Amino acid sequence: MAVALLVFGSLISTVTAQPTGLEIGNKTPDIRLPSVKGDTVSLSSQKGKLVLIDFWGTWCAPCVQEQAELARLYKKYKQASSANGKGFEIYGVALEAKKPNWENFISKNKINWIQVSDLKFWRSPVAKTYNIQGLPFNVLIDGRGVILAKNLHGTELEKEIGKNLNK
Amino acid sequence: MIKSMKTKILTLLLFAFTTSMLVTNPFSSQGQSDPWTQQQLLAPADLAKVLNNPKSPQPIVYSIGMQAIVKGSIDIGPTMRAENLNTLKQKLNKLPKNSQIVVYCGCCPFSRCPNVRPAMALLKSMQFTNYKLLNLPQNVKVDWIDKGYPMTE
Repeated sequence: MAVALLVFGSLISTVTAQPTGLEIGNKTPDIRLPSVKGDTVSLSSQKGKLVLIDFWGTWCAPCVQEQAELARLYKKYKQASSANGKGFEIYGVALEAKKPNWENFISKNKINWIQVSDLKFWRSPVAKTYNIQGLPFNVLIDGRGVILAKNLHGTELEKEIGKNLNK
Repeated sequence: MIKSMKTKILTLLLFAFTTSMLVTNPFSSQGQSDPWTQQQLLAPADLAKVLNNPKSPQPIVYSIGMQAIVKGSIDIGPTMRAENLNTLKQKLNKLPKNSQIVVYCGCCPFSRCPNVRPAMALLKSMQFTNYKLLNLPQNVKVDWIDKGYPMTE
């Protein structure tokens, strides 16, 4: 019985296109949050691009440190084409509590990629949806929204991004 | 001869020093500079139990981080900033020294948190006798929100 269930289960998973989830190969749950200007920017609006979902906060020292590195990667890869489309995008989700901290950081550091936040800090529903245990945390998804890698940083992150883009 | 003796003594001294460091090391696992003791760490489950029972005496809970999340806690703001630490000081000035006080931040592990040390050091320097640090080893999400403990509206 158990074996039959297992076989049946794996059959379903091969038949069904990528299930929504948080494992590599899963389709990511969509995120719809306000930008600094207040308009909603959804993750799904970036379909076709290789997207790094970067969960961060201005209060998180290692995240802040990483922003300069992300700026470099963004500049280097945003115009590159990928297997499923064109371009590289960063979708920054700030677990922030107060808007001025977030807004000031963005303008001071000239962050020019997508930034969204519901200003709910650790109570953000997205922290629950993405089962975030601590920051920094990131997810790299392909043009279909399928997870390629999770929580890569430094050279490992750059290698993975480069691997999925045609220069 | 004298030189070799000197070396021997130095080696011995170095050995003694290293050994003493090793021996005292277990006590510094929480960080030698941390202005709190193991006994001053309050388990989240224990605070949740108290908050859920209106009959038990309620502590004064201060949020000294980004946001007040624990039910009934007073939002001071990050005490890494002098103005927020000053706000806390002014509130504490009005309290008897034996008041039951709990502080928490919960942004990140204590080793990386910029707010818990200034607040705990202040309580210590003001000679309070009954204050605790809420033990959120990972963060307020994993160790409080995800456990379903009581939260602010």
